[in-house]
Amino acid sequence: MKIKFNLNKKDVIVDVDPSMRLLDVLRNVLHLTGTKEGCGEGSCGACSVLVDNMPYDSCLTPVINVMNKQVMTIEGIRESKEYETIANSFAKMGGSQCGFCTPGMIIVTYALLMKNPNPSEEEIRLALSGNICRCTGYQAIVNAVKDASKGGKHE
Amino acid sequence: MNSYIPTSLEEALKILFEHDCYILAGGTDLMVQNHRSSGLLPTFKKDVLFTSQIEGLDYIKVINNELHIGANTKYISMIESKFVPTMLKNVFVEIASPSIRNMATLTGNINNASPAADGTVPLILLDARLVLQSKDNKREISVDDYLIGFKKTDRKPNEMVTEIIVPLTDHKYLWRKVGSRKAESISKVTFLGAYKTSNNKISDFRIALGCVSIKPVRSKQVESKYIGLTIDELKNKKDEIVNDYNQLIEPVTDQRSNKEYKRKVAINLLKSFIDSIK
Ligand SMILES: Cc1cc2nc3c(=O)[nH]c(=O)nc-3n(C[C@H](O)[C@H](O)[C@H](O)COP(=O)(O)OP(=O)(O)OC[C@H]3O[C@@H](n4cnc5c(N)ncnc54)[C@H](O)[C@@H]3O)c2cc1C
Ligand code: FES
Ligand code: FES
Repeated sequence: MKIKFNLNKKDVIVDVDPSMRLLDVLRNVLHLTGTKEGCGEGSCGACSVLVDNMPYDSCLTPVINVMNKQVMTIEGIRESKEYETIANSFAKMGGSQCGFCTPGMIIVTYALLMKNPNPSEEEIRLALSGNICRCTGYQAIVNAVKDASKGGKHE
Repeated sequence: MNSYIPTSLEEALKILFEHDCYILAGGTDLMVQNHRSSGLLPTFKKDVLFTSQIEGLDYIKVINNELHIGANTKYISMIESKFVPTMLKNVFVEIASPSIRNMATLTGNINNASPAADGTVPLILLDARLVLQSKDNKREISVDDYLIGFKKTDRKPNEMVTEIIVPLTDHKYLWRKVGSRKAESISKVTFLGAYKTSNNKISDFRIALGCVSIKPVRSKQVESKYIGLTIDELKNKKDEIVNDYNQLIEPVTDQRSNKEYKRKVAINLLKSFIDSIK
């Protein structure tokens, strides 16, 4: 079936089974491999993408559920000016080690800061609560998000 | 397996009349249950009807002091709605994770009919009802009557849930979800107690307990014993109340915790609810 959606600000049409996971459409059909697969069952957030500006787990999303919607992956976020701020803060604060969780962490950080430019620590932790990191112990990521936020010391 | 992608309710009901289908809303239960390894399509054993393209099932409105929630409404819309009471919001913000709350529906939570579902606990406490529609029929049923067993509902194969109706009340309440961590934990025990007072007397008293039976436990018969008492009289009957609920609940041991633990936690939450009444 031909399914149309907007991906990273461009319209795309894919000819796939409507039950195919958005994650597989992105990685295997469209060859955008920035979106990662960790658990494959909604528990880790490595596969986070934005759908109409809200984080979704692409591993649980049948592609039909994003028909005619706007999808943003890390490849699209990279083109934004906010990305630079967030990426610099992650680098500066040690918010990324092996990097596997990082695309997902940046996606949820981006969504949080667009909605709430000056989040409290509690709001940051809540926004990151669906994303697992096996390396950093989280504090460095929370610090990175704080740094990237309006109240942060990011220059 | 065939996929059906209706764009109207009428079309959806016609498809359900003609084909035996899974109904997939957010997919956060069904995509996990039918997941295969990476890169492979999910293994649905029946045809699938996807509800995401149906127009007009995503709404929240208040009619005659009752909340009407369209079947396709996501948790996030309810959490952000000015019509939804804080009791429900407090339950919803503890379900799953932020992304799953953006994707998933309360309708899916009810229909998955898991004993560990969080969303059904306040619905049973508030006497919520469901609207079910098929090609030729429309009926209403209470959530309590709809949930008939472990992962079993009263839905006929050609029916779908189209609306959830929740009476609005101003009870004081205590909600507690006990899980292994704060986000993304399937509950071990959930507790929701609610009451109203007038002239120092208990004018309403309700308790719903989750994860301690095949569906949330509520007994109007037990509740009615305590309505009309003064607050002090109620507190003096704490042992009797504990005894009543000890008999009603039947927790079983599962991967997450054993039945003795669940019973103890449920009763402790009940006690702290009674202590909190003022
Ligand atoms: C990581 C993770 C964490 C979770 N945490 C929690 C939690 O903390 N608490 C909790 O309660 N749940 C939790 N869940 C379970 C799940 O997210 C919820 O049950 C959710 O509400 C399901 O909604 P959905 O729209 O995604 O349902 P779907 O998966 O689309 O459907 C679920 C069931 O509902 C049926 N259905 C859907 N729409 C209709 C309709 N209109 N009429 C009739 N039947 C219908 C489907 O056929 C299916 O049986 C979690 C799931 C995951 C993956
Ligand atoms: S891969 Fe999707 S949440 Fe883990
Ligand atoms: S940096 Fe390795 S998982 Fe987060």
